[in-house]
Amino acid sequence: MGQYILRRLLLMIPVAFLVSVVVFVLIHLSPGDPVAIFAGGEVQDPVVIAAVRQQYGLDQPLPAQYVIWLEHALQGDFGRSLRTRQPVLEAITERLPKTLELGGAALLLSIVIALVVGTIAAVRRNSVVDLVATGVTIAGVSLPNFYLGIVLILVFGLVFRVFPPGGYSDFATDPFENLKRLVLPAITLASASTALNLRQVRSSLLDVLSQEYLRTARAKGLRERTIVMRHAWKNALIPVVTIFGLQVGAILEGAIITETIFFWPGVGRLAVDSINGRDYPVVQGIVLLSALSYMASTLVVDVLYAWLDPRISYRSRSA
Amino acid sequence: MRSARYLVAFLGSFAILLAACSGGQQPSGGGASPSTSVMATPGGTMTFALEDQPINMDPLLSNAFIDRNIHYQIYDSLVRIDSSGKIIPWLATTWDFASDGKAVTFHLRTDVKYADGETFDGASVKWNIDRYRTTTGSQRSGELASVDSVDVVDASTVRFNLKSVFAPLLANLVDRSGMMLSRKSVEAGGTDFTRKPSKAGSGPFVLTEFVQNDHMTLEKNPSYWLKDKDGSQLPYLDKVIVKPITDGTVRLTNVRTGDAQIMNNIPGKDVASLKTDSTLVYQQKEAYQFNSMIPNEAAGYVFADRRYVKAVSMTIDRQQILDTIAFGVGAVGYGTIAPSHFAFDPTFKPYAKADPDAAKALIAQIGAPLQFELLIVSGDPVQLQEAQLIKAQLEKAGITMDITQLQFAQILDLQNKHTFKGMTLIGWSGRIDPDGNTYDWVYTGRPNNAESYSNKQVDQLLDHSRATTDQEQRKSDFQKAQQIFVVDDPAAVWFGFGVSQLLYTPKLKGMDIYPDRLVRFATAWLQK
Repeated sequence: MGQYILRRLLLMIPVAFLVSVVVFVLIHLSPGDPVAIFAGGEVQDPVVIAAVRQQYGLDQPLPAQYVIWLEHALQGDFGRSLRTRQPVLEAITERLPKTLELGGAALLLSIVIALVVGTIAAVRRNSVVDLVATGVTIAGVSLPNFYLGIVLILVFGLVFRVFPPGGYSDFATDPFENLKRLVLPAITLASASTALNLRQVRSSLLDVLSQEYLRTARAKGLRERTIVMRHAWKNALIPVVTIFGLQVGAILEGAIITETIFFWPGVGRLAVDSINGRDYPVVQGIVLLSALSYMASTLVVDVLYAWLDPRISYRSRSA
Repeated sequence: MRSARYLVAFLGSFAILLAACSGGQQPSGGGASPSTSVMATPGGTMTFALEDQPINMDPLLSNAFIDRNIHYQIYDSLVRIDSSGKIIPWLATTWDFASDGKAVTFHLRTDVKYADGETFDGASVKWNIDRYRTTTGSQRSGELASVDSVDVVDASTVRFNLKSVFAPLLANLVDRSGMMLSRKSVEAGGTDFTRKPSKAGSGPFVLTEFVQNDHMTLEKNPSYWLKDKDGSQLPYLDKVIVKPITDGTVRLTNVRTGDAQIMNNIPGKDVASLKTDSTLVYQQKEAYQFNSMIPNEAAGYVFADRRYVKAVSMTIDRQQILDTIAFGVGAVGYGTIAPSHFAFDPTFKPYAKADPDAAKALIAQIGAPLQFELLIVSGDPVQLQEAQLIKAQLEKAGITMDITQLQFAQILDLQNKHTFKGMTLIGWSGRIDPDGNTYDWVYTGRPNNAESYSNKQVDQLLDHSRATTDQEQRKSDFQKAQQIFVVDDPAAVWFGFGVSQLLYTPKLKGMDIYPDRLVRFATAWLQK
């Protein structure tokens, strides 16, 4: 297993390199001059724009720009934002904990609800719980994020005044305020994934519960709770873990709309602003981070498989 | 019986007296108007919900409208405007133009220090202006292109030597081009000066915290030079926290819940109800901002024949666009000179009524039907709605308009290269002097002249308007030029002007509203 993990970690390097090249090419190929964009409607003096392009090295040929970027990146310097002049690494690390907090809370909420309600829905098929769960699933995938977010703000922030209408408060400064402000955006972000996960847990468990080995377990007189928790769950969770793993990797992208609605200062908002503004260094940094998070999460998923199903082994076969 | 009648009469009188005391003094409709008769209470923290994230705190490099909302709190300019748009003394107390107009001497305040303790003086003015004029990549160089050099006459007197007479100079010095910063703080800040707290300004507040996409904290400048009429030190507020909230509904919710005390840029759909909401104060004033459709008039494109531009201008119903899209918030417009500009002509209404029949006749004269593409920014539902309304209006004149949605970056690219096929929907935040709304947009070869428009007479009139400080002469020049580039030989289709807006809690006093859509908190205070 150790060798397998090491092999996967080493494989991340060429993949990251490939991702950096593809992203670099794509963003530079997309129309729009970043200098002209952040001049916007204010100043479009071509002399000034040309001077700024030269200052930022944007007048160099693309391969030269990439090589310069790569040289610096290998030393831990991912450049500076073209818009704000903030170092890219600083911009990302400043915001990443906030995105992780929001994404983590949403994932935890999603997983807990999916596991609990999905299990009940599967065990008590066609019951009230099952029907409600199905309804919630449909609502969760149908309601757009931005709409749900605004509705939650209006209802719980304005009408009932239970939660603040957005914003972020540092946990270290005021943990209670931080958690209060986390509730609505976490629910918003969790809505679609909860629906998906709940459905997956339910159908996966239903499939496993109908298997012969569980009929044998029932015939032997085991309680239903023991059958579900000890024998059915582990097998049912294998496909579910795949989806969870992908959702972990997708935390960065999923938070984009939620962070904008709730003015949560995370990486998602940074990504949107940077893509729209053709802020090449920042986009490069964020996409690289996103790729690495996907790779890390799929590695964790693969390792979990081995724990869930002892038949799965990553040892290399001897001759 | 008699005693009962007396009792009723007494109770009735008492009721009338109560009604007179409680009902008569209350404000109607939109709540309390800004009150200055009550003594201001110093202290307190106010949260301002701003429509977007400020990016750059260096006036040298800043090119986003939103940045200026912060600049005006932390920096002072040589001159400023009052709430009517009139230029008033600020760091410069008086100024004298040379008889030939090629120099202007500013007499400076002698009681101003920057927040870092450095003294504001003639040398500081020279350093700042030279920095704006000559630094590579300066976004202010165009605005100060008329300045040849700056001489320090003495510590409180500087002379700007101009290459030629340039009437809009004072207007440019109101804004970023005239903002004075401490050299010591700017140089100490280095590359990070644009985005980190500093004490470089002499304004009412000092930027003490700047967390991107989260908040900015402005704290009272204890050595601010401005005092109120009673001689009390300004500002009154101890702290202003600025929160960038891009969604208008969320911004409004924050003000309603008290998480923010003031916001700008109120969604049009909410204005009517807010005007009658006594729990909040709504203020509105005509602004310099304009909205327009910019055609590509370069050779080979359909609008190279400007009669087509005129046909579009004749057909659209500007009032309907204002009422439907902006919920009536704003003003109908036909050109670049806004109602708040000194050169505005309220009788200039060339297309007061939409006339699709006249447009049809004009197109028939040209001999070929008009079909063109309108580029709008993707992901903007309001712009899409606006485009759809315009499309429906143009159909009445037999004009076919296809709507294409692209990213802002792509549209800008096509505009800068003058390769867009039809028209784009463009707005401009507006400038104090009508020259700032006009020159770069219609003068031959200028940066914002995306339409590739050129008319010698317009160029001459605009050059003449720059070369004289006689306001009446300038007014005449602008109005004659406008007649040409709007009606006789149209450059674009202008259809409206925006408004400045503020919405705030009645506890907030001392807020004035300005036509440049920027906020000023120096005189704001919170009633306890």
